[in-house]
Amino acid sequence: MAELRIAGLMKSFRGHPVLRGVDLEVPTGELVAILGASGSGKTTLLRLLSGFEHADGGTIEVDGKVLSGPGVHVPPEQRRIGYVAQEGALFPHLSVEGNVLFGLPAAMRRERARTGALLELVGLPAAYASRPPHELSGGEQQRVALARALAPNPRIVLLDEPFSALDAGARVETRETVVAALATAGATALLVTHDQSEALSIGQRVAVLRDGALVQVAAPRTLYRRPVDAELAQFVGEAVLLAGIVSGRQVDCALGRLTLEVALPDGAAEVLVRPEQIRLTPDPDAGAVCARVADVTYYGHDASVTLRLAGREQILVARVSGHQAPRPGEAVGLAVEGAVMAYAPRAAHSCPATPSRKGSGRSKEHIAFYSPSPCGRG
Amino acid sequence: MARAAVATARGGGLARPRHGRPPAALVGAAGFAAALVLLPVAFTILQATQVSLHDAIDLLVRPLVGLLLVNTLSLIAATTVAAAIIGTAAAWCVERTALPGRRAWAVLAAVPLAVPPFISSYAWVSISNGFQDFAGAFLVVTFAYYPLVYLPVAAALRGLDPALEETARSLGQSPWGSFRRVVLPQLRPALLGGMLLVALDTLVEFGAFALLRFRTFTTELYAQYRTGLDGPDSSLLAVVLVALCLLCLVTEVRVRGHARYARVGGGARRVAVPLALGWARWPIVGAFAALIVLTLGVPLGTIGFWLLQHAQAATSPVVPSPALLARATLASVGLGAAGSAAAVALALPLAYLATRYLGTWVTVLERIAYLAQGVPGIVIALALISLTVEAVRPLYQSAALLVITYAILFLPLALVSVRATIAQVQRRLEETGRSLGLGWFAVVRRVLLPLAGPGLGAAAAMVFVAVVTELTSTLLLAPIGTRTLATQVWANTSSLAFAAAAPFAAMMLLISLASTWLLARRFGAAAFPRLG
Amino acid sequence: MLRHLLHPKPHTALAAVVALALGCAAPAARATTLVLYAAQHEQTVDQVVKAFTKETGIDVKVRTGEPPELASELLKEGASSPADVFFTANSPELTLLSENGRLAKVDPATLARVPPQYNSPTGDWIGVLARVNVLVFNTSKIKASALPASLLDLAKPEWKGKLAVAPTDADFLPLVAAVVAEKGRPAALAWLKGLRRNAMIFDDNEGVAAAVERGAAAVGIANNYYLPRLAVEKGADKMHSTMYYFGHGDVGALVNISGAGILKSSRRQAEAQKFLAFLVSTPVQQMLAKADVTFEYPLVAGVAANPALKPFDELQPPKLSIQQLSDDRDSAKLLREAGLI
Repeated sequence: MAELRIAGLMKSFRGHPVLRGVDLEVPTGELVAILGASGSGKTTLLRLLSGFEHADGGTIEVDGKVLSGPGVHVPPEQRRIGYVAQEGALFPHLSVEGNVLFGLPAAMRRERARTGALLELVGLPAAYASRPPHELSGGEQQRVALARALAPNPRIVLLDEPFSALDAGARVETRETVVAALATAGATALLVTHDQSEALSIGQRVAVLRDGALVQVAAPRTLYRRPVDAELAQFVGEAVLLAGIVSGRQVDCALGRLTLEVALPDGAAEVLVRPEQIRLTPDPDAGAVCARVADVTYYGHDASVTLRLAGREQILVARVSGHQAPRPGEAVGLAVEGAVMAYAPRAAHSCPATPSRKGSGRSKEHIAFYSPSPCGRG
Repeated sequence: MARAAVATARGGGLARPRHGRPPAALVGAAGFAAALVLLPVAFTILQATQVSLHDAIDLLVRPLVGLLLVNTLSLIAATTVAAAIIGTAAAWCVERTALPGRRAWAVLAAVPLAVPPFISSYAWVSISNGFQDFAGAFLVVTFAYYPLVYLPVAAALRGLDPALEETARSLGQSPWGSFRRVVLPQLRPALLGGMLLVALDTLVEFGAFALLRFRTFTTELYAQYRTGLDGPDSSLLAVVLVALCLLCLVTEVRVRGHARYARVGGGARRVAVPLALGWARWPIVGAFAALIVLTLGVPLGTIGFWLLQHAQAATSPVVPSPALLARATLASVGLGAAGSAAAVALALPLAYLATRYLGTWVTVLERIAYLAQGVPGIVIALALISLTVEAVRPLYQSAALLVITYAILFLPLALVSVRATIAQVQRRLEETGRSLGLGWFAVVRRVLLPLAGPGLGAAAAMVFVAVVTELTSTLLLAPIGTRTLATQVWANTSSLAFAAAAPFAAMMLLISLASTWLLARRFGAAAFPRLG
Repeated sequence: MLRHLLHPKPHTALAAVVALALGCAAPAARATTLVLYAAQHEQTVDQVVKAFTKETGIDVKVRTGEPPELASELLKEGASSPADVFFTANSPELTLLSENGRLAKVDPATLARVPPQYNSPTGDWIGVLARVNVLVFNTSKIKASALPASLLDLAKPEWKGKLAVAPTDADFLPLVAAVVAEKGRPAALAWLKGLRRNAMIFDDNEGVAAAVERGAAAVGIANNYYLPRLAVEKGADKMHSTMYYFGHGDVGALVNISGAGILKSSRRQAEAQKFLAFLVSTPVQQMLAKADVTFEYPLVAGVAANPALKPFDELQPPKLSIQQLSDDRDSAKLLREAGLI
């Protein structure tokens, strides 16, 4: 397994740019999840890496050897980059064994024992070897596809939305098996997905691709806690965005005075609070932020609570554990747990919690708005 | 074209059939159609059995049969392989590479099917007598029938998940290796099926070989008929030919039926990234251009050339005139209309039965109808001549007999389209009709036929083209005084009067190409009628 | 009818279409229409028929085919045959029909127009044209001096691969009958087997002539009119082949009679007699001799043959009577025994 280095990678289709300069380094043995919405260019990135498409610009290096760059395009079969397609793409005319051993030289294809070991690696019984692919479930097909990709000992393995076609149960199970198999093989791997929870749970690092460029590459925790902008915050989880005023390491907003995770220049800002950071207290103390429960969506293990801040139109959502879920109509006090992110305000956006800003003058109303809503009974 | 359409579309359907008793009239009509198909075959076999075993062995184990077998089988071997290579290569280039102008090539590569082989053999022979015998036969048949491989293979390639090829590449296979180890095994049903169709069409072809003076079973049957030797001995030869054809047909059905690989998984599929050809681009474009010149350019060009030449009275059995051309065109079009109407009428009860009812008998009747695909026109025509002259005198030498022959010959072609059309009409609509108080016949007339109208029209149009370009039965069964475009071309080309044949050949080609083009346009629109 | 066409029910619509096709096929019968079964070259038949209709106003419908094919059809059709007149390239088929009592007597005045040795001995058909068998040869492939003295020599091994024949052409069958008549059946069979070893086989004599012309074969057995026709088509100066006439009464110089007879079952006997008389009238015979179409020998006295041909009286045909060539079907059986068909 090897180190992957991507620099300034660009690709357009019919004049429409899909990748606009992607830079990424993946050290040996790391599993990076590429997270992006559909159309973000993530599949194109994989296809450039595997050599199915020619890059328009930039370089791809593996272990210091250029696979793709100005005037260089190593064909897919010489790259030693394994590829697991969206639905596995098992060869329907070959048995499981024929599939798994496909990429090996003819002499090695006769060593049947190899099949068992490879199947074991992906958690399948050796008896599956003789089965035709269409007798396998979707999850099993994906595992065979991974075993096939790993068999010739590739330098890097690419997985293109490998779990998207599976149902919820199979998805979790297959995901765990695949991650374990990749870890056992010590594979340097890139996994493409549009599912943020999948990306966060699988990747040692997550690279978020947006409009053809990587906006952030970070460990899952960092990505979730410190997304580089509000839009990304919304993409990698639920977000409550509030208007606020930064001063020093603190920010004032409808939820009170909160501590900043990352410093920002003083002035107006957009504040990111994760719904699960908002704590509900049944007996709102004086001085705490007060709200009334508008609606509750109950999931069992947790619940999503829609709150209306006292005396305001402001609506926000909190996530609480299932057994603490309040009832609609109850008055509750709110507190925010931990530090929050704040961003320089965007020119225009769709966040309902932040008023649109017209002109540069700051009115009293605005200032009043940034202050917490006190609890009033009645 | 006929056979490709039949092979790729046979079977399948949307409306789910049910068990139950079909109306007696329906079974009767379907049974009549099946009986019509069986009649000439049964008659031929019956006649052949009149030969004593000893004589039969003498007749079958003679040098001529050996010669015919060698001729036929070596030609089949050569043409199927050549058609497979040309068809697959063309399909792959069109479906998988960034060939300049690939959309246009994709269409052009299929057009030779609309050129009747005896027209292209006319073209080649008129260029040089050197194109006779094996070489000419090989050339003409390969160019005429490679689309029978090209079309199903292209369709299979379109249906093939490109991720398979990419995966193979990522596993270390070169483009050729991935084609050989992944693509080819999955093209096998389409490829083998297409090759068997080429073999079948080569077996039943008559006109092209007669003009190229290449002796096969069909030309020999015709020669025997001309020397007054038709009878049990000829029937024996015909039975050998029919047996060879049915062997091809049955194998073809099995190949297509069993070896279909299901695509593993479902969901949306990406379109394949066309392979960049680099410097190879222009040689390949050149090869396509050469193919089109050879398959379309030569027939069109030679006909054009001969149109400008003066037809010599000495060597022209039929000296063309506008009046003669008009008469022949009218006769061809009239017979085409009558033949297509009869074939569709014959196919309707079978199609309705097959899409609405289950049962062994339904399957048997349908299979019998498809049998006609494997019986050469010359066998059917010769049997019907003997049959009518001996037993059904009023039909003898009548236009009605010719129309019936067309209906038998092209029943499979009609049945495929009619069946698909009827299967698309939801049975719920028929049931609604019944609940509103209509009898089944009224439902057929007021609900089914109006809904199936465009599909039936397409079926009729396909049969129409097939009839207009049909030679063998027309030649043998045309009533006294009836000269069609096909028989006029034949009369002139068999006497090497190429200039005199040209106007008739041009008109026939015009009708064939124009109808096929209109059909393709209509079909394209009719294939997605409920999306708008 | 109009109402039906406007509101067609399925079956009436179908019937209308069939009727349309039938209508194209069979133009409405006028006063009299003669049905001619013609096993002669279509262009010759066409010429004669057009002239006949022009002169008499009688329409003629033609069914074309090879002589044995049409003769066999006429026999099968029997008394209900639609045919009135049978005009054929070779006499054996006429003899066959005559022997089966299918032909009516020809008007004596018509018979008298043609020398009696070219007519039916029983007076039920007349000779119209004569043709002679020749050897066509490619002048760059073989010298005239190397050509065989007899047709029978072509079975010898030295002709292997040089010869083209069309055993299924109707013109070949009388030749076989002639060899049988002269040399006996076993010798004929041996000769045919020799031909099978030596020859390239073609469907018809047009093919033989074309093969010799393009040099695929050095020599070919065919009747005398194929090469002149090819010369008209190609231009005489571009020809690579010419004709060799066998001499000294060799069987290879066989003269065949193309003749016509009237079917007994015909209901238009008067018109049929008129047609036969027309065939042997001097203007028609002259027309056939002069136009560069037929290249056969007219049989009526005083009409000269086409100058492209060797004069009729210079031919040296074998001394065989029409009866000796009577049965083509036995010739066909012999061909099959020899493995030629």
